[in-house]
Amino acid sequence: MSPKHVEQMYDALIVGAGAAGLSAALGLLRSERIAAMTQAGHTPKILVVSKLQPLRSHTGSAEGGIAASLGNVSEDDWHWHYYDTVKGGDWLVDQDAAQLLAKEAPATVINLERSGVAFSRTADGHIAQRKFGGHTARFGEQPVPRAAYAADRIGHQILHTLWQQCVAQGVEFAEEWYVTDLVLDESHEQVAGVVAYDTHTGKVHALHARNVLLATGGAGRLFHTTSNSWDLTGDGMALTLEAGLQLEDSEFVQFHPTGLAHTGILISEAARAEGGVLRNSDGEAFMQRYAPGHADLAARDVVSRSIMAEIDAGRGVADPKDPQGPRDCIWLDMTGIEPDHMHAVLPQVVETIEDYAGIDPTKDYVPVKPTAHYTMGGIPITVDGEVYTWADDERHVIAGLYAAGECSCVSVHGANRLGGNSLLDACLFGHRAGVAVGARIAGSPDTAAQDAATATADQSHDTVEAAAQARRNELSDLLKPNDPAAADTDDTASHHPENDNAYRLLADLGAAMERALAVRCNHDSIAEALRLVDSDFTERARALHAHSESPAFNQEVTAIWEVRHLLELAKAVLRASDARHESRGSLKRTDYPNRDDKQYLAHSMVGGTGEVAWQPVHILDMPPQARAY
Amino acid sequence: MNGNDGTRVQVTLRVHRFTPRPEREHTRSGSPFAKQGSPFGSGTARRRPRGKQWVQDYALTVLPDTTILDCLLNIKRTQDPSLAFRYSCGHGMCGSDAVAVNGTPTLLCTAKVKDWAVRQHAQNTVDTDGFRKTAEAGTATDTADEASGANPSDAGDDAPLIVELAALPGFPVQRDLIADIDPMLDQIKRLQPYLQADGVLATTKDGKIDVFEYLQRPEQLAAYETLSNCIACGVCEGSCPVFAGGEAFIGPAALITASRFINDSRDTAADARMDAIDTADGIAACQSVRACSRHCPRGIDVGEEIWQLIAKVKER
Repeated sequence: MSPKHVEQMYDALIVGAGAAGLSAALGLLRSERIAAMTQAGHTPKILVVSKLQPLRSHTGSAEGGIAASLGNVSEDDWHWHYYDTVKGGDWLVDQDAAQLLAKEAPATVINLERSGVAFSRTADGHIAQRKFGGHTARFGEQPVPRAAYAADRIGHQILHTLWQQCVAQGVEFAEEWYVTDLVLDESHEQVAGVVAYDTHTGKVHALHARNVLLATGGAGRLFHTTSNSWDLTGDGMALTLEAGLQLEDSEFVQFHPTGLAHTGILISEAARAEGGVLRNSDGEAFMQRYAPGHADLAARDVVSRSIMAEIDAGRGVADPKDPQGPRDCIWLDMTGIEPDHMHAVLPQVVETIEDYAGIDPTKDYVPVKPTAHYTMGGIPITVDGEVYTWADDERHVIAGLYAAGECSCVSVHGANRLGGNSLLDACLFGHRAGVAVGARIAGSPDTAAQDAATATADQSHDTVEAAAQARRNELSDLLKPNDPAAADTDDTASHHPENDNAYRLLADLGAAMERALAVRCNHDSIAEALRLVDSDFTERARALHAHSESPAFNQEVTAIWEVRHLLELAKAVLRASDARHESRGSLKRTDYPNRDDKQYLAHSMVGGTGEVAWQPVHILDMPPQARAY
Repeated sequence: MNGNDGTRVQVTLRVHRFTPRPEREHTRSGSPFAKQGSPFGSGTARRRPRGKQWVQDYALTVLPDTTILDCLLNIKRTQDPSLAFRYSCGHGMCGSDAVAVNGTPTLLCTAKVKDWAVRQHAQNTVDTDGFRKTAEAGTATDTADEASGANPSDAGDDAPLIVELAALPGFPVQRDLIADIDPMLDQIKRLQPYLQADGVLATTKDGKIDVFEYLQRPEQLAAYETLSNCIACGVCEGSCPVFAGGEAFIGPAALITASRFINDSRDTAADARMDAIDTADGIAACQSVRACSRHCPRGIDVGEEIWQLIAKVKER
């Protein structure tokens, strides 16, 4: 679906149509002031631009649950959720944001239910809840069932419900349009719009907007082994860097402990919540040793590091599909779960294991290894979703620019995210950002319609059109058949431009990043990856071109821009990882093995040129403590 | 062929490709005799895009339980980056990669080489109109699984293994394996596919209003839970001879969506929903062929569900 025509000026552009983008669209349209405006005949012009059809968004793959202290199964309190979130994030969490997250979680989940999500239920009809790693009662005393779930398909339910509600609201979508540029005005203090590439026609559009909200999701494709879909290429984060803005805490990447052997496909934490146990090659349930009391349901970073420690100690196992291969997996033993119960509450997990490992989990152990799963860091935002830069020890908000969801960092996840908090973050802060955009539209003296007149009159300063024209020129170069005479300057190169392509570069980048950063890293591993990224990969990315001249549905063009985005992001992630001389949460520096609150109780703020600034963490009522499980 | 013994096989992916001709800018012809569109055609109807069509073979050596999606990704990396097909999550949840494998609609990421590769002489393939030839005596099967390489030796081991791929039947092809599924989404959207509840808040025993969810007991959830797992991939639509045959039928996917809300105890619009599908192009167009059930990746027995829906509408 593409818009019938492109407006001269939009009141709001939402980039991305997963849980965050759709929640923002709904938050905006359902807000009282926008509803009143619409009623008065001033319908705001809003467009959701997405590189996928909305129902294909990766939100749909989330399995386990969405956290909220509903207390439907056993007593719960938002203060406990708040504490768990701060502790889970190893105190790199902004406590004002985490308070909001925990406090507004129950209303968020109930809103989803009332919008149509088919939650699993307790016998008396309330939303059912299950235990998830790191979620406890009474400030760490014992595990508490806090994750509201829908069998093991909560993400699918939420995504489809949000889309359905957007259909009800008549939201307009530009589907399979890829945003190539985020454009600010000449002062760099205000958003001007985006440039978008319609993959159906190959046309490049200059989209002018008074407000832009980025909700493009994570960047799992930085790594070879990832649970993320092929589309999680960190676009929003890279757009932000390329627009001259910063990213916050980008060195924190969560590796989920249980990816299915070498596929990276996720085996939900629900598998362990329902009784699954991790075992080493001796059959030992080793998590009891690393996290007494919490064992297999300790926080994700703890479990991933414990698995790596077992593998390093020679107690790993080989993937049965490759018996002679490296012993870099661990067993997930689900045989203790009663088979009928397993099929009832973990249907998706069972299906994934059967289909992609050829194993019956009721009888046999399942090989698992940590898989890149979630980017805790991202585009820095306030609790109302406003994007800011950090300079001169204060936040400078970019007027009209917003972000939400995994691409953003309001800093509720700190250095490590708890299970069940990502869908919550996306829905809750997506909604808040949408409401904030609505208020800005309603409170502004001009409307997009009036602006359109000035925009056309003032083309000399049209930064969006200028960026679009640059993309059009680049596109025609990418599509030009390669001139064989020009390409033979260096026939001996292993990656001769004629043979190289974006998909190959993506694979090589993923392997390099995995070697450098997966679960643990040090200065040398980071330096090696930076060397590759800065020279070889950048060189190759520059030489890429499409192997077909036809612009319609030319996926290779998008892939080239995606891999360039990933490279931009990889540099920032590597530089931020290098700058933090401590180990905290998901970041394990073998050369700096301890947490250092004196120096690094601060968010890294990295810019496109690689310089890193530090923003102090917001501490309210929970001073840092040792983080033990 | 066993997926786990580590023996690789040679397989050829035979892909029906299509590249659309670039849209020409509408240049006003000065001649009144210039070629015009048909006076009978509707101006808004979707035209079949014109362009170049051809069949291309790609040879690969892979483990038998490799998915066809992984084969195609391998081809993109190592042989032909211009080959176009939709894909995203890679594990059967996003619903973007429905295509015709050996003529049968299914998902690329769940279809495996060992289940679909056939020896070349097995003519279980589609022609350009989307039809399959009647199988020869002795090899007659009605599912591709049975005709597959599960027992490939009967064709002689030297005949190459082939998997034939084409865009999802029943929808206009946009490029290679990419089909335009907007007609399906439009049909779903026309049925008001969102919960319409009464908005009443549950109250506690002493009449106090809680800010609680709508209550729904597990057995009430069970009445529609499976239906709510539909991922709108279009496999059922491409399998339906009425829908894929080009009739105006609203299609199995839209009917499943309608049924999902009709059976949801929270929804209050069941009557209007049933009216909306009780039409000539609605349930009346379903011929109960039940091909729609065969490859639903979410395990929905689409045909049976539609049968139940028809009974429900008729019994009103």
